[in-house]
Amino acid sequence: MIDAFGVIFSLAGIGCLLAGTAIGVVVGALPGLGPSIGISLLIPFTYNMPPELSMLMLVALYMAAEYGGSVSAILLSTPGTAAAAATTLDGYAMTQKGKAAEALAISLSASCVGGLVGALALLVLAKPLASLALQFGPAAYFSVGLFGLTSVASLSTGSLVKGLLAGAMGLAITTIGIDPISGTPRFTFGVTELYEGIPFLTTLIGLFAVSEAFVLAEGGQGERRTAMSEVRFALLSWRQWRELWTTIASGSVIGTLLGILPGVGGSIACWVSYDFSRRRGRNALTFGKGDPAGVAAPESANNATVGGALIPLMALGVPGSPTTAVLVGALVLHGLRPGPELFSSAPVLVNTVLWGLLMTVVALFLVGSALLPVWSRVLKLPNSVIAVGIVILAMLGAFALRNLMFDVYTTLAFGVLGYVLKKFGFSMAPIVLAMVLGYLVETNYRTALVTSHGSYAIFVTSPLSLLFLVLSAASLLFPLFRAAAEQRRSKLSQVNQS
Amino acid sequence: MSSHWRKALAAAALSMALGMASAARAEEFPAHRVTLVVWSGAGGALDTYGRELAKLLDEKAGWQTKVENRPGGSGAIGMAYVFSQPADGYHILVHTSTLTFAIARGLIPYKLNQLRFVRAMQGEPSSLAVRKDSKLKSAKDFVETMKKNPQALRVGGYGTGGFHQYMLYQFMDLAGFKSGWIPYDASGKVALALMGNHLDAAMMTPSSGLSQVESGDIRLLGVSTEKRSDYFPKVPTFKEQSYDLDGFVWRGVSVKAGTPDDVVAAIQRALDKVQASDEWKAFMKRQKQEDISIKDAAFEGLAEKQLTKQRKFLKEAGYSK
Repeated sequence: MIDAFGVIFSLAGIGCLLAGTAIGVVVGALPGLGPSIGISLLIPFTYNMPPELSMLMLVALYMAAEYGGSVSAILLSTPGTAAAAATTLDGYAMTQKGKAAEALAISLSASCVGGLVGALALLVLAKPLASLALQFGPAAYFSVGLFGLTSVASLSTGSLVKGLLAGAMGLAITTIGIDPISGTPRFTFGVTELYEGIPFLTTLIGLFAVSEAFVLAEGGQGERRTAMSEVRFALLSWRQWRELWTTIASGSVIGTLLGILPGVGGSIACWVSYDFSRRRGRNALTFGKGDPAGVAAPESANNATVGGALIPLMALGVPGSPTTAVLVGALVLHGLRPGPELFSSAPVLVNTVLWGLLMTVVALFLVGSALLPVWSRVLKLPNSVIAVGIVILAMLGAFALRNLMFDVYTTLAFGVLGYVLKKFGFSMAPIVLAMVLGYLVETNYRTALVTSHGSYAIFVTSPLSLLFLVLSAASLLFPLFRAAAEQRRSKLSQVNQS
Repeated sequence: MSSHWRKALAAAALSMALGMASAARAEEFPAHRVTLVVWSGAGGALDTYGRELAKLLDEKAGWQTKVENRPGGSGAIGMAYVFSQPADGYHILVHTSTLTFAIARGLIPYKLNQLRFVRAMQGEPSSLAVRKDSKLKSAKDFVETMKKNPQALRVGGYGTGGFHQYMLYQFMDLAGFKSGWIPYDASGKVALALMGNHLDAAMMTPSSGLSQVESGDIRLLGVSTEKRSDYFPKVPTFKEQSYDLDGFVWRGVSVKAGTPDDVVAAIQRALDKVQASDEWKAFMKRQKQEDISIKDAAFEGLAEKQLTKQRKFLKEAGYSK
């Protein structure tokens, strides 16, 4: 352990932390370049470094990219990573109200706390949490996904029918591509680019970013109407902490727990956390209209998934997310194999990763604070420049995904779709959430049924699955009960008055 | 300078350049940077292989290489990209044996003869894996149990209509039992499902759950290599247990059909240097991969044979008509 501290706090170690963090923030902020692509781009440069330093740099990048995604989400309504999608709702709304600086500071603080909680869980609870992850079979995964889907109803701002329609649209989009169980191409019309389905990021960038660029373009050349307060040091005030700490704490726990489940990760955790604090909050009405908690909740969750996703990797040697899968590749190139035996064969490396992850949070806070004034310049640009900038970033991001023009066209098409839907008062969140969960729910539903030879009992006999089914039912019925109770109360008061 | 002169000079320069180019080609391929087109995303086993190969081509053969990931369309995107380039060997496709499955299922709209097969370099077997506390002790136990009741065990693995299911199907054919197939969409999830008691038996590459295989949490009942694998000397092959089942996933490189023979020969020479190096051997050992070298016509023959067998499997298993 002392050796590991020697590595982390050496000049090279600190340099790697800061460099990895800076690259991570930028990679995260650019749509299309997520943490996994960032790490694979950086791996060739870490060939000749000692494995400890190279891993330190890569996990710093991973941690920072999860935060970086929120920067473009808040400033430009362009989620830089899939896990920052939920941040767009309230983050961008805050920007439109002229509170971009506050939103960025909240995002940074929430990300740091979330990252810290995830890293601590990795350090202290890796073994028990990994065995918890093993308990999740296909049936339980299905129920978790279903539970997530129940928040579609509550995410639909305005009309519930429109929310459900949007959710159905998202689910329909996920059916495109090769059927995960039977292997038959569905709705691909022989187009090879569609075999793996419509890439999630093209939808995300199209619906959120490109459509917003169209809206901005409508407004003409004028300066941004929104005043921008000066960005100061990123620390939140005591009052803000007191308001947000429960949100950040619950987001961190949700993120850590969902992070350990392979195939779930940040893009789902951010929505679950967002919805959780929305329901818990007294002022559910302000959500989606620039509520600080709507930024803190998803941002704490997506950074907490970093430590969570490293748990199955370190404790079992099996990657828990696409990004950790790339980390496996990096370890292998250094002649190391992730897994429990790494603790005895390369203890310095393991300790560097475990304690280094804590230090990435510190690095993130420093680098993030230093970059805040840079972001505020973006908002001084006129709308016309911003609109064009968003489209350029979106196109670059879409192309970077698979080096395909096809994805660029898809993104543009979703941009048009998003613009039209906005005009009709649809919210984008249910579409995106349904797309994130659709694949999880479908594959696991069918895998569970194949496993049980067609018996539906598997969904209730598995305790974890049952738990989440009950939670789903509660989540759907609770608002109805509350509405009924309120109605009764108002009737009673009417009776009393008359 | 008059335009007359300029033209003459330009012509002279051009002819010199051409002469140099052809001389360079006669001398040694490659004259400039070579792109390795990996047909899957960054970070997987194929990408790791591609990047190690690129590194060693630079170091051992003095090449200048660049790795490009072109994932999508079950590999069709990467192939289309290579086919869109001239057949000069400067775009080398890094691909796996899923090629034949994808062609057999009609997912890749190309034929084998559109590729010039160069060399298969990595091989990985499938194996029958169970949890530590399973009652099954051998492949025979597994077969007997399944013969009594095809639903007795939950059997699955990575992929739908892919290599591992194909191996199980051949196993069923040889031993005369029936079994279902529970597909998982990532090879890591198979090991997790096995350990979490969501599967009773899996067909999987031993390396996808290596930590557990080595610690004994996952036991291998049989492996699909010809002879006992150096990496798992205690695990009997299926052949030893009198099931004539062998097969492996390969990873290798190919170029566009029509690439000149001397260019392919130059690539082969470079690959010889890579495979002879200690770094390559160490890499294969770390990855627990069988070091194979199946070249040119033999490689193409292997792919053709696999395609024919897999077409039959997919038809009978109901994945294609």
